[in-house]
Amino acid sequence: MEKPYILHMFTPEKNLSPFDANMALDAGWLSLVPYTNLEPGEITAMVQDAIFSRSLSGVKRTAIFIGGRDVGTAMAMLRTAQKSMVPPFEISAFADPSGAFTTAAAMVAMAEGELHKHHRAGLEGKSVLALGGTGPVGQIAAVLAARAGAKVKIIGRQLEKAQKVAELCNAEFGEGQTAIEGDADANKGELLKTADVVFATAAAGIQVLSAELLAASPQLKVAADVNAVPPSGIAGLGPHHKGTPIEGSPSGAIGIGALAIGNVKYQAQHRLLLRMRTTDKPVYLAFNEAFDIAREVVRGG
Amino acid sequence: MEKRAVLHMFDPMPHVSPFDINMAVDAGFEVIVPYSNVKTEEVHGLVQDAIFSRGPAGVKRTGIFIGGRDLAVALTMLETAKAAMVPPFQVSVLADPSGGFTTAAALVALVEKQLKLKHGAELAGQRAVVFGGTGPVGIATGVIASLAGADVTLVDPFSVETALAKADEYNHRCGAHLHGTFASSEADKARLLSNADVVFCTAKAGIEVLNASVLADARRLKVAGDVNAVPPLGIEGIKLKHNGEPLVYAINSPGAVGVGALAVGNVKYQLQNHLLALLLQSESPVFFDFRAAFERAREIV
Repeated sequence: MEKPYILHMFTPEKNLSPFDANMALDAGWLSLVPYTNLEPGEITAMVQDAIFSRSLSGVKRTAIFIGGRDVGTAMAMLRTAQKSMVPPFEISAFADPSGAFTTAAAMVAMAEGELHKHHRAGLEGKSVLALGGTGPVGQIAAVLAARAGAKVKIIGRQLEKAQKVAELCNAEFGEGQTAIEGDADANKGELLKTADVVFATAAAGIQVLSAELLAASPQLKVAADVNAVPPSGIAGLGPHHKGTPIEGSPSGAIGIGALAIGNVKYQAQHRLLLRMRTTDKPVYLAFNEAFDIAREVVRGG
Repeated sequence: MEKRAVLHMFDPMPHVSPFDINMAVDAGFEVIVPYSNVKTEEVHGLVQDAIFSRGPAGVKRTGIFIGGRDLAVALTMLETAKAAMVPPFQVSVLADPSGGFTTAAALVALVEKQLKLKHGAELAGQRAVVFGGTGPVGIATGVIASLAGADVTLVDPFSVETALAKADEYNHRCGAHLHGTFASSEADKARLLSNADVVFCTAKAGIEVLNASVLADARRLKVAGDVNAVPPLGIEGIKLKHNGEPLVYAINSPGAVGVGALAVGNVKYQLQNHLLALLLQSESPVFFDFRAAFERAREIV
């Protein structure tokens, strides 16, 4: 009999996300085991406990998911997990804290898709604003857009915090290939005059782009919003919008709503969970891999 | 339809061990439910909750595993669990904190086999010394060997009080006849080795307890076994896979042989798998601690 698929699900938080647990089951993982309140210092021992009790055929059917809320913690845990492997006893691991990696990947890939469709251009050289961008999704969207060649600014209510988050993104996640800057909400009006793409990634229920500001955004080509709770993060943009022109945009900007992003995010997360289950060689998956797969989904691959 | 096989895994520590979870799944348990930070006084309630909800056919498909790190806590939990059963509503229970019970059982069974094979001797009447004898694996090793008739001394690396207290505690608890001492210097170790027939090394991983020069002081050593798989290994000259190979540095003990950590690990693995499977296969409920583990380990070797 073939050994059952076991997914060890780590989170530094008090609870695992039921969203991720459902996704893992639907991707064919048979046994899910939650480990909560995990501390970074415990990862090595947990990983080594997980790799040494199955034969090599069993090892291939074992993997780790890393959740939680904090992007930095999840990435550190993923790196520690990878370092703790003892080949040939090594298993795949996938980090997606708060679903932020797959959500950001879906949003950026979809925005890129609309740019291709309507302007025959990618993100390269585009001016991108991550509004309310100091949270997990904003940070990763900024990093992915910057790595795709965009000039990215993370916008937050406090200038200092936005700058600190931008620096952290460059240092921790950009691998020296990004020059994300931070700026304050107060300067939004000025920045929107030259913005090509806007990502709205603030907390649910906060409108970060009003109808007035939208009307004063002469170059805006694509706007995406991850907030599915009314009022929407961008005036005139509904959750179901998927490549629909936003009413009130003088430049005819295309809108991408939260449910459309959620759909691509769902497929990307599903495929990454599936890849861990079917891969022959262990894989270590985070936002870059999520972005590659989200691009495939957007292209219909 | 046959009810699914459920294993309730109780652990006094913050996390159930992924090692044990993998083993349980591979032994045929379909649903694994981890309970962490379990207190001894909670075991009674948890057990009764587990036995009363599945009917007589369901309880046969239900088991309890007790993990953790502490030998005494696990034994107490096992006794509490057994006392909480209400026949015919009763389920099988296996205790194996830190894998210590199955490791100790495998170690003693392999050493006993070599005694018989190479020296035509039984464990009864042999003088056995357990280095690292006050940790969970060491104590379980000592108790098993003592109950088999050996004259066993537990050795603590620092404190004679610790060694005497542990020996006393488990003599009362398990009806063993353990002695306790300490060995902090090479001279102490040499003195203990000089009249030992059997040596068990269950000290911390990565520490060489007995070097070549100390081994030369052994005058009547027959078999030595080591559970440390992380270099440097616990006994100089015993390789990981040794199982009855000559103990080259015990130059004054002709015919002495060694048992290495992978040989022990291999039997421990089969043993744990077997015990977990027995939880599901037994007609009437079983309650396994290291003594039962030893009986099965003898069958395996």
